Amino acid sequence: MKGRILLSLESLFLVSKGPTIFQVLLSHFMASNSPCASCKLLRRRCTKDCIFAPYFPSNEPLRFATVHKVFGASNVSKMLQELPIQQRADAVNSLVYEANARVRDPVYGCVGAISLLQNQVSQLQRQLAVAQAEILCIQMQQEPNFPIFVDPDEKSLVLCANNFSNSSQFFGNDSSGYVNQDPLKRESLSA
Amino acid sequence: DYLTMNSSRCAACKYLRKRCPSECIFSPYFPPNNPQRFACVHRIYGASNIGRMLQQLPVYLRAQAADCLYYEAQCRIENPVYGCVGMISTLHQQIFSAQEQLAKVHAEIALINNAYTQQGSSQFQQFDGLLSDLNNFPMESMDTSNQVPWCL
Repeated sequence: MKGRILLSLESLFLVSKGPTIFQVLLSHFMASNSPCASCKLLRRRCTKDCIFAPYFPSNEPLRFATVHKVFGASNVSKMLQELPIQQRADAVNSLVYEANARVRDPVYGCVGAISLLQNQVSQLQRQLAVAQAEILCIQMQQEPNFPIFVDPDEKSLVLCANNFSNSSQFFGNDSSGYVNQDPLKRESLSA
Repeated sequence: DYLTMNSSRCAACKYLRKRCPSECIFSPYFPPNNPQRFACVHRIYGASNIGRMLQQLPVYLRAQAADCLYYEAQCRIENPVYGCVGMISTLHQQIFSAQEQLAKVHAEIALINNAYTQQGSSQFQQFDGLLSDLNNFPMESMDTSNQVPWCL
């Protein structure tokens, strides 16, 4: 019955040339009559100023449920209120991501993914260093008078022409500034 | 007993201004000498969520979980928009960049090896152009700065 009423009321917009005052009020009523996912879960009235409504539509109830389970609605609300409106969508997406990660992995959450990625970065850095050393080795083999340079301050490659063997001996790394923090050893926030 | 209670309350119970029972869920992981640790996680998750999450885990995993929650809370305070997800994005970009560099270096090695297995160094000179093309490959055109994990 309610569906049929809504359908017939919507048809008013199609017939008329422009929205009447009645139609404007009706659309406002219709909008506020469909609570967002957060207000549905929290069982409260969803006002037009609801801070959650733009980011937790009613057709995705699990999205808010997960965030509420991990962070709590009031904490999420406080976090969003402290942000400018244009940044809130990204903030909500990242909170949803973190909450899902925490639900999937109740011990490590996102930190598990960070550790894996950091290991991958380290592995790739090592492979890169080996490959770069290999190039130098090949070039040295072709040019016996290849210069040897040592600069321990800048952690550049240290070569020993007599003992250098293919891909096995190298020191240092490049200075491309890779993230290399052990997440569980961080003690305090940086200033 | 009042003196013992006051002097050995964990950081959580001190912060929440309540007594700290012997079986307090927070006390092993939020010692009184580090009040900032609990303040940080409380600000992001809330005491009841922290307590519930720890309760749901076996005891031997709770320390790790508390450390990870503290780390994520710190990231969120430092970066209120992206939290630790920002770090995940950065790491993805670094992996992509490193894989590109590695592919280039491997291609360079293949070229050099190929050149030197041919007839002497004269062949190598023919590949100079190819090598310089590899070195000039515009890696900065691969702009991944807008990619975040939920888009990957």
